[in-house]
Parts: sequence; C-alpha cells; structure tokens
Amino acid sequence: MAKLTVNGRGVEVDVDPATPLIYVLRNDLALNGPKLGCGRAQCGACTVHLDGEAIRSCQFPVGEAEGRRVTTLEGLGTPERPHPLQEAFLAEQAAQCGYCTSGMIMQGAALIQARPGITEAEVLAGMEGNLCRCGTQPRVVRAVLSAARKGA
Amino acid sequence: MPGPAPLSRRGLGLAAAAAGLAIGFRLDAPARAAEGEVTPMLLANPRLDTWVRLAPDGRITVRTGRVELGQGVLTAMRQIAAEELDLDPAAIEVLSADTDAAPNEGFTAGSMSVRYGGEALGVACADLRASLLRVAAEAWGTEPSRLTVADATIQDADGRRMTYGEAAGRVSVARPVDTSVRRKDPALGRLVGTSLPRTDLPAKVFGQQVFIHDLRPEGMLFGAVARPPGYAARLLSFDEAAARALPGVVAVVRDGSFLGVVARREEQAREAARRIAEAAAWENGDPLFGGKGVFDHMKGIDAEEKVLHRTAGDAQGSVRAHRVEYRRGYQAHASIGASCALAQWEGGRLTVWSHTQGPFPLRTDLAKALRVEEASIRVVHAQGSGCYGHNGADDVALDAALLARAAGGRPVRVHWTHEEEMAWEPWSSAMIVRMEAGLGFDGTPTSWTHDVRSFSHNTRPGQPGAQGCNLRSAWMLERPVGPPVSTDAPLPAGAAARNAVPIYAGIPNQRVSTHFLKEAPIRTSALRTLGGYFNALCGDLFIDELAALAGKDPVSYRLANLRDPRLAAVLHRAVELAGWTPEAVRLSPALEPVMTGTGIGLTRYKNTDCYVAVVARAEVDTRSGAVRPIALWAAVDAGRVVNPDGLRNQIEGGMVQSTSWTLLEEGRWDANRIVSDSYADYPILAFPSLPRIESAIIDRPDQAPLGAGEGSQAPTGAALANAVFAATGRRVPEIPLTPGRVRAALLA
Repeated sequence: MAKLTVNGRGVEVDVDPATPLIYVLRNDLALNGPKLGCGRAQCGACTVHLDGEAIRSCQFPVGEAEGRRVTTLEGLGTPERPHPLQEAFLAEQAAQCGYCTSGMIMQGAALIQARPGITEAEVLAGMEGNLCRCGTQPRVVRAVLSAARKGA
Repeated sequence: MPGPAPLSRRGLGLAAAAAGLAIGFRLDAPARAAEGEVTPMLLANPRLDTWVRLAPDGRITVRTGRVELGQGVLTAMRQIAAEELDLDPAAIEVLSADTDAAPNEGFTAGSMSVRYGGEALGVACADLRASLLRVAAEAWGTEPSRLTVADATIQDADGRRMTYGEAAGRVSVARPVDTSVRRKDPALGRLVGTSLPRTDLPAKVFGQQVFIHDLRPEGMLFGAVARPPGYAARLLSFDEAAARALPGVVAVVRDGSFLGVVARREEQAREAARRIAEAAAWENGDPLFGGKGVFDHMKGIDAEEKVLHRTAGDAQGSVRAHRVEYRRGYQAHASIGASCALAQWEGGRLTVWSHTQGPFPLRTDLAKALRVEEASIRVVHAQGSGCYGHNGADDVALDAALLARAAGGRPVRVHWTHEEEMAWEPWSSAMIVRMEAGLGFDGTPTSWTHDVRSFSHNTRPGQPGAQGCNLRSAWMLERPVGPPVSTDAPLPAGAAARNAVPIYAGIPNQRVSTHFLKEAPIRTSALRTLGGYFNALCGDLFIDELAALAGKDPVSYRLANLRDPRLAAVLHRAVELAGWTPEAVRLSPALEPVMTGTGIGLTRYKNTDCYVAVVARAEVDTRSGAVRPIALWAAVDAGRVVNPDGLRNQIEGGMVQSTSWTLLEEGRWDANRIVSDSYADYPILAFPSLPRIESAIIDRPDQAPLGAGEGSQAPTGAALANAVFAATGRRVPEIPLTPGRVRAALLA
C-alpha cells in the first residue's frame, strides 16, 4: 500500500512500494500525461514533478513518493486554466506525434520555475535528457523561452 | 523508365499537401491514372458513404483511410473537407482508419496522403455539396449554379435559405461517388493554404486520452513476450509451472518458439516475460553474417541484378574517371514510445486496436498467422508514438492477438519495451552505393552510374498476392507462416533505388542499377524515405567531388547540369537564406585543429515529389574527429501548400531527424541479434547538439500539391557530409560521420 498526493488529491494504491511510479500513475490512476518511454530514464517521456522538481517516474519507486506531492501534466494546467508553457506549446505548435510532449512540458516548466530568466543555452542544456524523435526540438525551445518571457 | 504517376486533372486544383506523409497505396502503381481519370483511392472505394456521411441534423462526418502519425494529416483532411463543403472546420467530425468503417487506403506512407487520399476525399465532399445544392434548387425551382453556401446554409439571391440539416433528408450517400463533379476553384479557397492549428494537439498538451497506450477497457490485462536470445533461436523447453507461479501471471502462452505471458499488472507482465525468457532453454542459430562485417557479407552473397534506368546522350570524350564507394550501416526508427497493441477475442471474433500505418494490410496478415477468416477480424486505428515507417507497430498486434487468445475474452494490451523495439523491429537496411563518372577535359561530367546494393526496404504486411506473412511472431509458431520472398519496388518511387536516378538531366550516359539482396539476416523494412535518403545523399556527395576535381564551386557546378527550373529555384533560395558565397573545395589541405565548412544538398524526393535544398554549416575537430552541426537552412517547393506551418514542421523536423541519422546513428549486433537496444547504445540527437534551423517555402498555388513529409532528410544529410568535405577537403565515405570514421578519413 502506498499513500501519495497526486495533482492535489490524496490517493492510496495497493502495490509493491518498489513499483516504478509510472505504472501507478498510468494504470492505477488512469493518468495519460506521463508516458512510458525507454523505462531507463534515458528519454524523459515519463517526467513528472515531485515536490515541484522534475523526476523520471519510470525509475522512481512509488514508495519513495509517499507523503510527497506528485504533479503530472494533468495537474500542471487544464484547458480552462492552462499553464503558460502549455499555451506556448499550442502557440508554437511545438509537437508532431506528441508522445514526448508531456515530458517536455514538465521538464520545461520545472526549468522555468527554477530560473525565471532562463537563456536559450540553459534551455538546451536543461532539456538534454528529453528526447524527441520527430525533430520538434527547435519549436520546443521557442515555446520554453516564450513561456519564460511571459513569467511562467 | 516508367513515367511518374500523374494526378487526375482535378487533383491539381485540390488539396494541397501539407504536412504529410501520405499513403503508399498499392493501387497507385497499377492504376496509374491518366490525365482526368479517377484517383486510385476512389476506384478502390467508389461509394460516397465510405467517405462522407450526413446525419439527419446536418452534421457531417468524413472518413479517411489515412492515419495520424504525428504528421498532421487529419488536420489537412479536415481543411480539405471543410473547404469543399463550405463549413467551419470544427463542425466536421473526422474519423480515421477502421476496417469496419473507413475506406481502404492501404498504407499511410510515402508522402502520398494529401496527394491521393486528399484528392479522393475532396471529390467526395464536392459531390455531397453538389447533391445538397440540387435539393435546394429543386425546392426553389432554380439552378444549383445560382446558389451559394455559407456556414452549412444554402442561400439564393432572393434571400431564401436552407440549412444542410434541412436538405439532408432528401440526399442519399448510399451510392457511388460522382467523379465528374467539379471541385471548388482554388482561387476561391479560404482554408487550404492557411496554417490551421493542429486539431490533435490540445488533447496532447493537456494529457487527455489520445494514444493507444491510453486505452484502458474494463477488465484489461497486460501481455508481454518472452524474447529468444537471437533471431534464429528456437525454444527447446521451459518450466511452465514455474512461469505460471510468477507474481500476477494469469496465463502463459507457448506456440512453437513464441512464448509470452498475460498478467494483471503491466510491470508484472514485463518482469515475468524477462524471467521466463532467461530461464528457458533456447538453441541459437548460425551467427549473423557468418561472423563477418555486414558490408563484406553484402558483397559476398547472391544478389539479384537489375538495370533500372539508362540514358544515351552525346558524350564528349572523357579524359578521366572518378569512382567511389559509399556505405551506410543499419539505422532504426527508435520511436520514443515503443510499439503497442490492444486485442480482444469475443466469440471467435478478434478486434485489434493498432497504430499500424495500414489497418487493412495488417488484417490480411493477422488472418494468415492466426488461420482465421479476414472477415472475423476488425482492426481499429489508434494513435501511437511517431513511427517514421515500418517499426514494430504491426508485429505487436499479432503478439497481442496471440496472448489475448489465452485471456478468456478479456482485452490484452501489449506495450513492447524499448529494448524489444530496438532489437526486434525491422531496421533500415545497410547500403553500399558505387558510383562512377567520366569527366571531360574541362571537368564536365560525360557519364554517371549509380549502383545500389541493399536488402529490402519494404517488408510490410499485406503484400498483394504474396505467400507468407510479414508479422514476426508468425514465423515462430508451431505451424509457422514464414515471410514472403522479398522484392524491390519499381521506379519511379522505387524502394532500394529510390532517388538513385540523378536529378541532373544535363548529364548524359546515365545508368542506375541494383544488387538486391533477398536473404536478410537482420530483418529490414521501411524507414522514412526508404533508400531515398542514402541514394540522394550519395548523388550529392559525388557531384561535390566532381565539382572539386573540376575546380568549380558546388553550386554553379550543379546549376550547369540541372534542367529543372524548380530545382534551381530551391537551390538559389537556400544559398541566399544561408548568406553563403560558394567556393571550390580545396582538396586535402593541411589540417588545422578546428575546421569549418559549408555544404549543400539538393533533392527532388522520389524524383516526383517536393523539391528541397539544404545548406549546412559544420565544424570539424580534426583531433577528435567530432563533427558539430552549426546551422541548417532549407528551401522547399511542395507545389500548392495545404497548411504552411504543417509543411514547415515536417521539413524542419526532418532536418533534425536527418542530422541525427547522419552524425550519430548506427546499429551494432552480436552473433545473434542487434544489441544497440537502448538510447545509450543507440543515441539520437539531443537538445545540446541542435543546430540552428531556418526554412523558406516557395509556394506555388498554381501547381499540384507534392508529397513533402520526407523531403528534407536526404539533402540535410548530404549538406552536412558536404560541409565536412568543404571544411577538411577530405571525404568520409561512410554514414554516420562518427568521430572514428572522420579521423580515419582525415588520416588516410
């Protein structure tokens, strides 16, 4: 049994505490945002926030998230109240297939939060662990910088 | 040489191809429509209600056999339909591929969706609009030509109005499409040619249910395959009781050498499959390539030789010859999300949700493997992670179907691991290209030959008339259904020889040939562009070498041999965008620690589709051999553009992808299988290595839309390789341009 706070809601799930967080988020809590990618923390598709910091949920045991705040893409913003980076992704049309998008937005949002005046070079370095195979990286960089300028 | 497949006359006015990969439909080749004839998609799917339906309240649903792969095709289809029907794009429902409810358009591939599928959908929608206008005209005793439509309401000059909903009851779509219907005049268009935002992105940005991976039907279980240690391995034995006792396991399936598990939780299924595979007794087959390197192997085995293209010409005497051999290793699709499928058996009927590029062809091969009637299978498309060609999408569908058979009617989802995808998906073939040219006294080319040695670039399921089955697990069953004999596709599109015909019509005495290798120890199939990336790249590398030998700069040398003004136009535009003044490449200068160069690539994709030129600037650290891409500039002409931002996204995305292919990507293997099975072992381009990217579109609203989803890969790779050539005066003959290869070429 693990007790977590996910997107502001307290939840209890009956799983082995060693279970990677991604499986609990996607399959037990039916959240679509975090994506299962490489399963080895090499692609960033599974990125979520733990107490506001970006982590790779595919390698993070659910037991270690006990008592902490987990935020997924769904909790970051909604169509009615979007996070500025979600708006920027739409404005820049910063996706093709969209499979990496959730991880990109979660990583980017954490970067902007940590460094409001972030530069392009810092975005490139900060997004190193997030892969996109469609080649939308230039649009992602523009979206992160534009959201940062708007004071996300 | 067969001519390119012409579009129907109507196609010229239509659609516009945006962003898309489009569909590689088998009917394209036999039904090479003559001018004014019906598009092949309508010949295959002649009924109007296959394409468009009208509810009694006037709501319109359009159906396309094309599937969304992240290329924005459903947005482009919505634009085309809304344009033709004079509707708000948001008012239309767009349904994508489903073998029970959508037209059979074969595969969504080859940059053909808008060109062929958009044409068919446009004709169908124009037909429906004409039928609705006839209803109003009859009611009002007037002529349809006197009526106009705005926002789904028909009106006449006297102010009479009739909504589509009011007319709907008197229109039947249960009839053949009237292919003589007139399409809307492109000059009156208000949607095609605009950057309508992608309709699928909001759901992806807010984490709504979009992907096949997000489907969670009631009672769903999870499946996983216990993989053998190699491609030729056979299962000798395994401990079934121990397998059943693993945590969460609901069922264990063995059929010949296919071994898999169904479990209550996803992580349990994955872990059980891993442990079962590890504990089972397997017998490996012979070592891959007889223990040799792939290029040696390719040169040593039987090949099917063909001459595909030949021209004569008044060659002036050649005073010297230039010969090269270029090579490229295996490359992978390397999708971020591994392949996934959901399958459910209900009373002998199978439903499969799949992100396949071809639901109908997949159904054909599923029926063969499972030994059931096609009619008892329904394949429904659901979006996956970008596939970039034939990855594991089809294979995992059979895995899910085999495992779901043991699940007592419950749905089973199988989501391969990334390692599984990398080791077991079909790879893009290693290739060897040999080229030779004669040069006149002034360096003018007097002949050009291009020979391609390659395994297959298309082993997709559902090959028409083929015996056998192109789903991997079918080969491993107790009663196996083996793969069909592999074949190459004819020009102009070609597969292994795609883009091997030079774009330089001014060069006489051309000869293009293939050495096609039918027996592939590592399974290969379509990766975006098939052989086109490497063949066009080789042509660009070679012409740069000829220019250097002639002491000419690479741009003016190309221009002197081009005859197509549209190629010349994109070349000029890219050079201008880069602010580059081309100079002749100086061969083998003294090395400096860091050298910078600018290179060019120029292609017409498939020799029939979009025109793209790319200029690249790159820096070479001659001590380490590392190549750093600094900037890329592209110019594209895709004829009439449906969605400019969609086109730009495809072109620029292809430039990033190709930078990764060209500088980084190469699969490695051991005796039994591909071992480059993680992003650490098979790295793809990451943010810090991203070059600056800029692109320009040359819009030609008066020209037919041309496929553009795969247009920038070859010229980008060529431009980067030519930038290294310009920087160092030395050619690296093998892709990818890894530090080791660059160092070897610099020291040679």
